[in-house]
Amino acid sequence: MFGCAIMPAVPPVEIENLTKRFGSVEAVKDLSFDIEPGRVTGFLGPNGAGKSTTLRALLGLVRPSAGSATFDGHHYEQLDRPSTHVGAVLEDAAFHPGRSGRNHLRVLAVTGDHPQSRVEEVLGIVGLTDAADRPAKGYSMGMRQRLAIASALLGDPQVLILDEPTNGLDPPGIAWMRDLVRGQAREGRAVLISSHLLAEVAQSVDDVVIIAKGRLRARGTLEQVLGGDEGTSTEVRAREIDRLAQSLQAHGHRVQRDGEALLVLGVAPEQVGEVAAAERVALRYLAPRARSLEAAFLELTADDGAPAWEVPA
Amino acid sequence: MSMLLRAELLKLRTTRTFVALVGSALGLSLLSVVLVVLLNDSFTETDSRELFTSDFSPLFILVLGIMGLAGEWRHRTITGTILAAPDRLRLLSAKVLAYAAAGALLSAIVTVSIMVVGSLLLSIGDKTTVGIADLADVLWRNLLIAALLGALGVCVGGLLRNQIVAIVGVLVLWFAVEPIVYGLDPDVGKYAPIGYAPNGILGFIPFTEDKPLDEVTAILVMLGWIGLFFALTAQTLRSRDLV
Repeated sequence: MFGCAIMPAVPPVEIENLTKRFGSVEAVKDLSFDIEPGRVTGFLGPNGAGKSTTLRALLGLVRPSAGSATFDGHHYEQLDRPSTHVGAVLEDAAFHPGRSGRNHLRVLAVTGDHPQSRVEEVLGIVGLTDAADRPAKGYSMGMRQRLAIASALLGDPQVLILDEPTNGLDPPGIAWMRDLVRGQAREGRAVLISSHLLAEVAQSVDDVVIIAKGRLRARGTLEQVLGGDEGTSTEVRAREIDRLAQSLQAHGHRVQRDGEALLVLGVAPEQVGEVAAAERVALRYLAPRARSLEAAFLELTADDGAPAWEVPA
Repeated sequence: MSMLLRAELLKLRTTRTFVALVGSALGLSLLSVVLVVLLNDSFTETDSRELFTSDFSPLFILVLGIMGLAGEWRHRTITGTILAAPDRLRLLSAKVLAYAAAGALLSAIVTVSIMVVGSLLLSIGDKTTVGIADLADVLWRNLLIAALLGALGVCVGGLLRNQIVAIVGVLVLWFAVEPIVYGLDPDVGKYAPIGYAPNGILGFIPFTEDKPLDEVTAILVMLGWIGLFFALTAQTLRSRDLV
């Protein structure tokens, strides 16, 4: 039996020419991107880049100065029972210190008209059942984060917005979060995840949006952004390293010295190997070296005046 | 709207604050009634009726109402609350109704308790008691005042946002500013929102022979104050960015 997935005409999340000014400060400038169902999108940028402002504009917590941020074409405030459409975990998720985790979720369940049985389900999903009756003031940071995630999952939403979701989680907690996020995407949900932990993001996301100073710097799949304008590079080591470098340059390749190795930019190992064979240079090591997300991020956010670029699909 | 109202009432029930304030209001009100009965030998029917207005719940529900909305900023829960209920006007309306209901409930508990204990003490001391009709009349007035002040507290808390400033501010207004204004010009002072307009609903101004606003005017004045603060709070809440 075959199913037919119908792609929605309107993206589940669409940010269009979003601008937000606080007085004379432009926190977000003419920002546009969208995210797709069934994929995890990493939303990256240095501190003060405008990530949180963008997410808050999307969630109706701040009013855009221009442009729009919508879910299925609707502003957050226009959504009927918003928790069934969107689940959000913001960086400063807070709870009444005297209210237990279970009661916090019960209040949200009543607000969103969800059955009380769903409270027990999400407590189980985040592993907080045993601590559910303790006041939130006694929760560790990781437990608070799990409670925030339980709140976001309560309405079984089709879109998840997660701002720094691994804050306060220990390594097993981070791995759990990664599995949760990937699982949500596998079930067809659109996930937008903002984080400063680039290595962690690199393991979780399908797509990447990078902003700096409120402007879009890059967007595309993770592979496209990591490839950037250089593509995959090749690390090569040889006894006659200087002669190999000259030969590679003579073939028009760009070469960087990296200690005892050469880094040949934008070239696959096969091509480097062919040059070495032709020049009869014995190789000691030959392997591709992918650009790390951190390297891509630093390059893309280093130059304030750099134009935004979009990786072609 | 009904879901928001239910959620706000559930919020009230799921912290110890409401229970603590009911206990405090009840304890203080009972103490006041017991002391007044024991320390006074003679009671007219008016004295006995006024005794049952010794309901401290309006003070506590006003504070609770302030905490109901200002506390959302204090505990930084306002973001989550607005994410769950993004229509800020409906959220404010639900809070106002919830705290009005809580005020009426708190006052019902306290007023009935002091009526039972006070009537018992008056009977034991062979002093003048109050009939059922008069007790019922005092009860609805107490309930209405507590409900109105609960609603007003929410609006004040939402407008000022700083819980401590709001609570101290209304206490200063109640116990210092309003009496001063009333002393300077009773015709102006009797419209004051926290002490003197509610006295119009009660039908007397404690410790004076002065005539307060009539009850219908007093109710309208209180609704006017609530409407004013509601409008200011709604405007502030709707236009404010939550960063």
